[in-house]
Amino acid sequence: MNILLVEDDTATASFIRKGLTEHGYVVDHADNGEDGLYLALNNTYDMLIVDRMLPKLDGLSLVQQLRAEPIEIPVLILSALGEVDNRVEGLRAGGDDYLVKPYAFSELLARLQALLRRAHPAHEQTVLKLADLEMDLMKRQVKRAEKVINLQPREFTLLEYLLRNTGQVVTRTMLLEKVWDYHFDPQTNVIDVHISRLRGKIDRDFKTPLLHTVRGAGYMLHDPTTA
Amino acid sequence: MIRRLLNTTVFRLSLIYALLFSLVAAGAMVSIYWITENHITRQTDARLQLEADILLNRYGVYNTEALLSDIRRHNQRADLTQGDRFYSYVLLKRREYDMLSEFEAEYTTADGRQLFATRALNQTINFSMTPNQEQPARILITLLPDNYQLLVATDMSEQRALLNEVFNSMLLAILVIFTLAGIGGYLMGDGVLRRIDSVRQTAGEIMDGDLSQRMRVTKRNDEFDRLSIVLNSMLRKIEQLMQAKREVTDNLAHDLRNPLNRLRNRLESNQFRDPDSTDFQQLNQDAIQDVDELIKTFNALLGIAQAESGVQRDDWQLLDLSQLIADLGELYEVVAEEKNIHFSHHAPSELTLFGNRQLLAQALTNLLDNAVKYTPAHGQIELMAAADGDGIQIQINDSGIGIPHDQYEQVFERFVRLDNARSSPGNGLGLSLVKAVIDMHEGQIKLADNQPGLRLSLHFLTPSGEH
Repeated sequence: MNILLVEDDTATASFIRKGLTEHGYVVDHADNGEDGLYLALNNTYDMLIVDRMLPKLDGLSLVQQLRAEPIEIPVLILSALGEVDNRVEGLRAGGDDYLVKPYAFSELLARLQALLRRAHPAHEQTVLKLADLEMDLMKRQVKRAEKVINLQPREFTLLEYLLRNTGQVVTRTMLLEKVWDYHFDPQTNVIDVHISRLRGKIDRDFKTPLLHTVRGAGYMLHDPTTA
Repeated sequence: MIRRLLNTTVFRLSLIYALLFSLVAAGAMVSIYWITENHITRQTDARLQLEADILLNRYGVYNTEALLSDIRRHNQRADLTQGDRFYSYVLLKRREYDMLSEFEAEYTTADGRQLFATRALNQTINFSMTPNQEQPARILITLLPDNYQLLVATDMSEQRALLNEVFNSMLLAILVIFTLAGIGGYLMGDGVLRRIDSVRQTAGEIMDGDLSQRMRVTKRNDEFDRLSIVLNSMLRKIEQLMQAKREVTDNLAHDLRNPLNRLRNRLESNQFRDPDSTDFQQLNQDAIQDVDELIKTFNALLGIAQAESGVQRDDWQLLDLSQLIADLGELYEVVAEEKNIHFSHHAPSELTLFGNRQLLAQALTNLLDNAVKYTPAHGQIELMAAADGDGIQIQINDSGIGIPHDQYEQVFERFVRLDNARSSPGNGLGLSLVKAVIDMHEGQIKLADNQPGLRLSLHFLTPSGEH
């Protein structure tokens, strides 16, 4: 996977680059908006991470020019501007997700993976599956080992989001944003409680746990029996 | 002073009005003067003609000798020095008295007589029989056979005086109008200047850093007072914002210094440890946690500042409060159950409120967090919303440890943590944010004793017809 990182702060850039390289990504780096746009127009990337405030050409204009081409790669905007309208501006300019500084690297990685996954959908699925867990989006029914599990509507949405990001870490902030549509830091342990309740329904009575806690990062749904 | 006065709009306007009015008045007066003068001239001419005709009728046009003696008799009788109205008659051979060069205007009447007028009636002519005496006059000349001509003249000094008087009084009137307008303009301009000077002086003091200064408001309630009132409320708002900003900065400095120091110590003590040791790993983990806490505090303070400054109004919408209460209820029901607390939520359908969904949700989340945090197991929490007269009431009741009466005000201040809450996690900013958000929505917070626990109600006005 090739990723273009446009970030003018050298320390931040090398930190992100190192982290992403460790996770198997190939990272190109540009330290200003013009170079970033040039690279993005003349190469094929799977993903663009762009800082909002850049020398020469700001991040939003860069994304707008890309979208005008049109180049439809997923774009993650990083920004020190965190107010709700800044976020809306970023998404309106063509960004696919918006991450406010300061952020944890795990948060960046989780969002990046979610975006990459969304950019390559394995055709429109009506049934999501993981091991013996099955979610039928049409019937709105969840089964594990052929046993029907009753979920509340919000639990269904939560599980759907986790299933769509199978094998990838999703953070608490991402869950609060995508499942509940609240854009602020999760207070205390609200998300944890909901996860543990969901875990009780889909994991408790079965031998293999599927919903895992990733320490210091968030949660991940995956099947430990397959490597 | 005069220069500044000239620069005021009021003074300039009143001067322009005075000038315009004087011009119109002058125009009217000139036409009155002209009509009067015309009338007098016509009357005089008619009288002169009559006099000449009477003489000629009496003696016939050829009896010049008789005419001459009569004229002499008449002229001797008339006391020309008296200056009263007079008619004077002269019979003379043509060219004997070449009058034409002396007179401004000459016109011929229908029956062939000539009329001479002095220039604008204010030049005088000399008659041979009135030496050294200059009087305005009008003369009618009738041509007679044998190159004789009969002159009939009349004194015009009275008419002259009348016209002069008219002219002078008109001039006076215009002068009075102009002077009055000038004085009025001065007074008005000066009044305006004085009010503006007071505003300018206050503004100057404010610019010098004294934000507590306010514009003077008189009891007249005129447009200046209304302007001052608006400016004052603006100044009040600015002062509040400055105050809030200063507090945030002070508190940031104060509250971030300790954790930053702790973080620095941790990192320093880790410098010489073996990176593979568990101590190193543990300290590293702690340091990250410290930073996360710092970020949380920082974000909370920023959120409060933003809410207090009243920005983000663009995001306001008519939001479905019933849905929000249901969502939050569902979010916290689970959390409460985990602690064995009985949680119930209720809101009638189609309850709407104009506001910022994210901020309101965050404020309610903070309140529900507190409720869960301070309510012991087997307690109760209720979340309710309902229409209430002219507004909407949201109620959060719990059976927790409550807040002592005398600390109701205090809990909304930043970084305040009550003694019985120090042991539980938190940064003392939750309720400050709630207060800022509710203030921003022009709502009110009331605290009361729930015996036991806290009864917290939020009241929002929904202006009828606005949304």
